[in-house]
Amino acid sequence: MRTWALLLAGLVIWTVHFFALYIVGSIWLTTPLARALTLALTLLCTGAIAMFLVRARRYLPETAMDRWVRSISLVGLGVSAVAILWQGLPALLI
Amino acid sequence: MRTETGFDHSLYDRFPTSDPRPEGELEELERIWCAPKGWQLLTAVNNNYIGIFYVGAAFLFFLLAGILALVMRVQLALPLQGILPQETYNQFFTMHGTVMMFLFAVPMVEAIGVLLLPQMLAARDLPFPRLSAYAFWAYFVGGLCFFASLFFGLAPDGGWFMYPPYTSLTYSPGINADFWLLGIGFIEISAIAGAIEIIVGVLRTRAPGMTLDKMPVYAWAMLVLGVMIIIAFPSVILGTLLLELERAFNWPFFDPTRGGDALLWQHLFWFFGHPEVYIIFLPASGLVSMMVAAMARTPLVGHNLIVLAFLATGFISFGVWAHHMFTTGLPNLSIGFFSAASMAVSVPAGIQIFSWIATFAVGRPRFNAPTLFLLGGMVTFVVGGLTGVMVAMVPFDWQAHDSYFIVAHLHYVLLGGMVFPMFAAFYYWTPMTSRHPLSERLGKWAFWLMFAGMQVTFWPMHLTGLMGMPRRVYTYLPGREWEVTNMISSVGAFMLAAGVLLFLIDVARSFRFTTDHDAGNIYDGGTLEWLPTGLYSARSIPVVKSREPLWEDPGLAEDVKAGRYLLPGSATGLRETIVTSPLLAEPQYLQIIPGPSVWPFLAAIFTAGFFILLTIQAYTPSFTCGVLAVVCVLRWLWDTDRRVKEVTVDAGAGVRLPTYVTGPSTHGWWAMIILLIVVGMIFVMALFSFFYLFGVQSQFWQAPAPAGHLAIILPAYLAAAGLALLSRRMLAREKTEHWTPGVLYLCAAAALAAGVGADMWSWIGSGLVPEASGQGATVYALLSLEVLLVGVGVLMACYLCARNSRGMIVRPRNNSLDLCVLWVVYAAAQGSMTGVLTRLVGA
Repeated sequence: MRTWALLLAGLVIWTVHFFALYIVGSIWLTTPLARALTLALTLLCTGAIAMFLVRARRYLPETAMDRWVRSISLVGLGVSAVAILWQGLPALLI
Repeated sequence: MRTETGFDHSLYDRFPTSDPRPEGELEELERIWCAPKGWQLLTAVNNNYIGIFYVGAAFLFFLLAGILALVMRVQLALPLQGILPQETYNQFFTMHGTVMMFLFAVPMVEAIGVLLLPQMLAARDLPFPRLSAYAFWAYFVGGLCFFASLFFGLAPDGGWFMYPPYTSLTYSPGINADFWLLGIGFIEISAIAGAIEIIVGVLRTRAPGMTLDKMPVYAWAMLVLGVMIIIAFPSVILGTLLLELERAFNWPFFDPTRGGDALLWQHLFWFFGHPEVYIIFLPASGLVSMMVAAMARTPLVGHNLIVLAFLATGFISFGVWAHHMFTTGLPNLSIGFFSAASMAVSVPAGIQIFSWIATFAVGRPRFNAPTLFLLGGMVTFVVGGLTGVMVAMVPFDWQAHDSYFIVAHLHYVLLGGMVFPMFAAFYYWTPMTSRHPLSERLGKWAFWLMFAGMQVTFWPMHLTGLMGMPRRVYTYLPGREWEVTNMISSVGAFMLAAGVLLFLIDVARSFRFTTDHDAGNIYDGGTLEWLPTGLYSARSIPVVKSREPLWEDPGLAEDVKAGRYLLPGSATGLRETIVTSPLLAEPQYLQIIPGPSVWPFLAAIFTAGFFILLTIQAYTPSFTCGVLAVVCVLRWLWDTDRRVKEVTVDAGAGVRLPTYVTGPSTHGWWAMIILLIVVGMIFVMALFSFFYLFGVQSQFWQAPAPAGHLAIILPAYLAAAGLALLSRRMLAREKTEHWTPGVLYLCAAAALAAGVGADMWSWIGSGLVPEASGQGATVYALLSLEVLLVGVGVLMACYLCARNSRGMIVRPRNNSLDLCVLWVVYAAAQGSMTGVLTRLVGA
C-alpha cells in the first residue's frame, strides 16, 4: 500500500481537491464564500502536496523499482501541484 | 534485494536451466491445453479463442454501425431527401452511436486485451477464463438481439445518451427506450466482468521479475482502463436502472413536477460518458506506444512520462463530465472548474503525442502499413484534441453545442484515438495469430482510402456546424448553404467505407487463425507476446529482466521454447498458471485454471434471454431464463475452488509453490474486492442522486422515517457481519459439528434480511411511497439495492450449505467461504449506511 500511496499521492490529492471544489460550487454557487473556500482548499491541498514532496525526496531508493516509484511520484506530485493551482484559478477570474 | 513476499530473488539465477526436459512433457502440456473440436468450440474458454471471437464480434458491430452511418450520409447528401423517414432516422442515429460506443469500442479494447495480455505477461491464460467466455457470449448474443430491434422498428430513438424527458414514458411510450435501457444495462455487466479479469490479470499473473517498472506500457494502459471501468460504469448502470424504474413503476427520479430532476440523468450519464472516451482511447494509446517503439526500432522515449500520463488521464477524466452540460445553467463557478479541468486533460494526451513523435525521431522508422495507420491516427487525434480544447472554452461551447461541429470533433477524437490505432494493431499483431501476415500493399491502399475518406467526411462537418446545422436532424431545407459541405461529407463516408472494405478483402485473403504455426515476429517486437506460443501461451514462463526482454536477450525465445524457465510442463496434470505479487511479480502460488465448460455459455444465453425477454414484456419466460442463468452460474462455480492432491509443486529448478492458498493474497479475493468496489460505486452514485434531489427539490421532501428504528436495523446488520465473520473463524476449529460454518452463514443472511426488512417496514410506516416524490423514489431505490445484495447473500448461503454438505468447504480455510463472508460484511455495511443516511435529511 505504501508504494501505491507514494505512486498516486499527487493525483489522489488533485482528485480530492477537484471534488471538494465541485461540492463548494454546487452548494454555495458563485458567492464570495465559495471563492474563499476554494482558496482555502487550494492552499490546503498544495500544502499536502508539499508534504508528500518532502517525504518522496527523503525516500531513499534501494532498487531500480524503488527509483522508478520515486521518480513517478515526484513528477506526479509536481504536475498535480500545477493542476491544483490551475483548478483553483476560476475562483479568482469568474 | 528487497522482497515483497519473502521470495528469494537469487532463485531467479537458476534460469535458464540446462538439463534436458523429460520426454513427453510438451505433449502432455499440449494435451491438457488442447481446444475442443466441432460444435464444442462453443465451450472454449482459452483466451486465444475467446479473444479472437471477441475481436471478430466487435468488428462485426463496427461494420453494422458503419452501414447505418452510410445510409444516414445518403439521406443527408441533399436537402429534403426521402430515403429515411424521420422516425427511422432517429433510430438509425441512436443505434449508430450506441452500437459504436457500447458494442464496438469498449468491447473491442477489452477483446484486444483478452487476446494480447496473457501472451504479453507470459501467463498461461487470464485468471478467470470462464468469466471471459461468459462475458463474451452474453455480449454477443445480447448485442445481436439488441441490433435486431432495428428490423422491427423497435430500436431506441432518443440518441445514444437517452436524455429524459425525451425518453420518459410520456414522450417515448413504446418499448424502444427499454431496449436501450435493458440491452445496454447487461452489456455493461460484460464490460465489468472484462475489467475484473484485466485488473487481476495485470496485477497478479505477470511473469516473475516483471516489476511495475518493467511492465509493458500496454499493460499499464489496460490496468488504468480496468480501474476506470469499475469506477465509471456503475454510474450508467444506476442511471439505466433508475430510468427503467421510472418508466416501469412511475418512480419520478427525473420528473421535476414531483421532485425529480432531468439533469440528474445527465450527471449520472456523463460521469460515465466522458471517462468512456478515455476508456476507449487509453488502451489504443497503449497499443500505439508498443507499436511505435517496434516500428521505430528503439525503446519508447519517455516511458515513465507515458505511464504517468495514463494515470493522470485516468484521474482527470472523472473531473470533466459536466463539460457536456455547459448549456444547462450550472453555476458559473462550477462551469469554470469544469472548463479548467477540460483544458488540463489535454496535457497528458499531449505528453503521449510528443513521446511518440520523439520515438519516431530518434529511431529508424519503417513506413509500412502499421506505421501509416499510426501516423494517420496521430494527425487525426491531434485535430480532434485541438477542437476539444476549443469546446472546453465555455463561450465557444455555447455556440457550437449540439451542432455538427461537435459531430466532427468527436469523430476526429474517436477515429484518430481508437479506430486508426486499432487497424494498425490488426496489421501489427496479425502475424501472432495467423499463418500469414496481412498484405502490405492492400494495407497501404486501405490506409490512404480510410485516411482521406475520414478527412473528407469530417473536416467539412466543422464548417457545417459553424454554419448552424444542428446534429440529429433527418433533413434540411435548400438554400441554407449546407448542401455543398454535406455532399462532400457523404462522398468521404463512402471513401472511408471503401478502405474498410479493402481491409476486409485483405483479411479474407490472408488471415488464417492458428495458435502454434503463426507467421511470427516479422516486425521484430521486443515484448513477450512474440515468444513462440501454443494454446498454453509460452512453453515455459520466463524471468523478466527488462522492458523489452526479446531485444535484451536474443536467446530468450529459444530458451522459453525449450522449457528452460518456470512451469515447463503441467505440475498437477491440470491447466495452471503462476500467480505473482502485484508490485515485484514474485511467484506466490500455482493457480489451477478451469478448462472448457458449457456452463458459462449457457449462463450467458440465459442472461441475454432474461434481459431481452424482459424488454418485450414476456415476463414468465424472462424470469425462467433468469433462474436458469443463476443455476448455470452456480453449476459452473461448483467445479471451482477444489484442492489438488499435491500441496506444493516444483515449478522448475526447485522453485516450490503451493497449489492452494486462501486470504487476501488470492486472485479470488482480489476479484471479490473489485466487484465490491463496483457495487459500492453504484451505492455512492445512488447516494449522490438522493442528496442531489434533496439539494434541488427539497420542497417536495417530507420528514424521514423515525431514527428510533435504527435501534433494530443497525444491530441486525451488526449481527449479520459478526455471524459471517464467526463462520470463517469456526471453520478453523476441527471439531465443530453443530454450529457449522454453513449454519452460521445462513443465520448471517437471515440477519441481513431482518435488517433490510426492518428498514423497509420503517419507511412504509412513515407513509412515503416511491411514486410520491424524488425522495420516495431514491429512498426505495436505495432499499431495493440493499434487497438485491441480501438476495445474493441468501443465495450464497444456500450454495455454501450445499458445498458444506458435500465436504467441499475444507478446513481450516476455504476460498468460497471467505468470499461469501466478504459479501455479507459489505452488504451489512451498505445497509447500515442506507439506514442512517436516508434519515439525515428531510422536511
